Amino acid sequence: MSASVPAAPSAAHLRAERWRLRARSIRAFGRRYVRRTDGVVGLAILVLFAIVAIVPQLFVGPLETATTATGRSLEAPSGTHLFGTDELGRDLLNLTLHGARISMAIGLLATFITIVVGAIIGIVAGYLGGWADTVLMRFTDFFLVLPTFVLAIILAPIILDLIGPEAQLFGIRATLLVIVIVIGVTSWATTARIIRSQTLSIRERMFVDRARVIGGGSAHIMRRHILPNVVNLIVANTVLTFAGAVFTETTLSFIGLGDPFQPSWGQVLNAAQSSGAPGLGAWWYIAPPAACVVLVILAFTLVGNALDDILNPKSAPRR
Amino acid sequence: MGGRYLARRGAQALLTIFAIILLNFVLFRMMPGSPERVLLRNPYLTQAKIEQVRAEWGLDKPLIPDQLVAYTTSTLTGDLGYSLKFRGIPVTDVIGQRFWPTILLIGLAEAIAIVVGLAIGAYAGWRRGGRGDRIGSGISLVLYSMPYFVIGMPLIIIFAAGFGWFPTSGMLTVGATYPSIVERLVDFGRHLALPLATVSLGLIGAYSILMRSSIIETRSEDYVTTARAKGLTDGRVLRAHAFPNALLPMVTIIAINLGYVVAGAITAEVVFNWPGLGTLTVDALSARDYPVLEGVFLLLSITVVIANLAADLVYGLLDPRVRT
Repeated sequence: MSASVPAAPSAAHLRAERWRLRARSIRAFGRRYVRRTDGVVGLAILVLFAIVAIVPQLFVGPLETATTATGRSLEAPSGTHLFGTDELGRDLLNLTLHGARISMAIGLLATFITIVVGAIIGIVAGYLGGWADTVLMRFTDFFLVLPTFVLAIILAPIILDLIGPEAQLFGIRATLLVIVIVIGVTSWATTARIIRSQTLSIRERMFVDRARVIGGGSAHIMRRHILPNVVNLIVANTVLTFAGAVFTETTLSFIGLGDPFQPSWGQVLNAAQSSGAPGLGAWWYIAPPAACVVLVILAFTLVGNALDDILNPKSAPRR
Repeated sequence: MGGRYLARRGAQALLTIFAIILLNFVLFRMMPGSPERVLLRNPYLTQAKIEQVRAEWGLDKPLIPDQLVAYTTSTLTGDLGYSLKFRGIPVTDVIGQRFWPTILLIGLAEAIAIVVGLAIGAYAGWRRGGRGDRIGSGISLVLYSMPYFVIGMPLIIIFAAGFGWFPTSGMLTVGATYPSIVERLVDFGRHLALPLATVSLGLIGAYSILMRSSIIETRSEDYVTTARAKGLTDGRVLRAHAFPNALLPMVTIIAINLGYVVAGAITAEVVFNWPGLGTLTVDALSARDYPVLEGVFLLLSITVVIANLAADLVYGLLDPRVRT
């Protein structure tokens, strides 16, 4: 090493510099996000629902069951039951707030599976290229074309059979785990497509070549050089995927794949439908869970679109 | 359009359909109610009888190629097996009865939603940021966030249970006799109105949002600037230049969207007890009637593949740039 080369910065100095840059970009992102009114409104709604989902018992006590029901059958809203009761006499405010926990938990887990599978397939296909890319993308396109909802309906009983009715994860019962898996298996394709196209353009950048030249293996480059550069897209896509997951969970529960012992909003609506509430004009049975579903999906969509506009280099500003 | 483009698209679609049949075959072998497992659960069955039944059904032959070939051949010749719930009735017959109500519902809803949704989206995008845009986009976004049954249930509460204008369920009044075809049609129409409104509203939300962003993209194109520079009126620039170009991507989107429409229509049918493929699917699900479920899946997925192929071909006809 010749004397004219400046002394290499110390490791501590480099780390501090990296954190300074990170903090700066986070602040810049924050400033851009705050200007998006729709994104801020969506975020506020989500924070509210997150609190309810984490501690529903704080607001309404433990989940009411057929035996601990506090009211009579199908009572209209009143002072004692603000949202009325269902056909078993359970308080609907209680059911709706506890439903938040189930719906959001399933949505979260399903989103996690979707994003992990989608990101891995997208990055591997985009980075490796060649036959691996061809095979993976044919597979992805196949899943994009399939009416995945109907596939989910067929897969659900098969998966329940495979994992057994006694399986549990974080206190979530088997029927709901099945919904998580089914949503994951059927919805990763869009994520994979988006991540792949971004990977394709990053792969051509100089720093990837440099990493390869100094002997970085494919796995190392994908993890340390490609992944950090697609994280932006992954974040925006995660939020939109969450909206889709809640949507699908609600729909699957509604057609009878939910768990009556861990009622999500879709499950409450399923009970409303099978007890004939719409025809009886029992609007209070349907309005609270339905409104929650729409609010949460709307909020996720608003936040997701705002993030996508800010973080996704490809999406031209939409407004 | 080039013959090679046509041939390649067609081959891709055929390959996809074959993959779907393959997937169906695998699912058939995995499902909890597979014939062997049902048989083996019966303790009174002699080994000889089991062997005999297995031979009869071809289950003693290897999975690949014998069973796969047998399955593919019978699928292609329209033999989808027998329903478990409606004992002895072929799946094709069960599905056949339920096919037309769904086609009618989805077809009409698509027609309404394409006209209304595209018009709202085009207007909102053209007047971006205006009051019409904010109201139109707001409503579309809310509709877009609603699963179809969440649209349908309030419609029942308000218009069927509340005002009593429409019946709550079914396709025709049960046990009614009609003096003439006109009365029959009127009764049918009254039953159709709410489910149709449900599916249409859901679709309008999706289409207007997508059309809005499509028209916003064309707004900044050079040919739109040129048209304005020629002194055309605002409405004429929209109708003759921006709208047709913004319509192009919608062809593909509408075809891809078909899979989601099917899912939505299933729940809408359940809400209104509409006797189509959706209620059939849900009934089959609760009865674990796997042959019917797989039949529905096969039918719907092949329909979606063909719709996508048709959209690609239409797109190729409309836009010469993609004929590669």
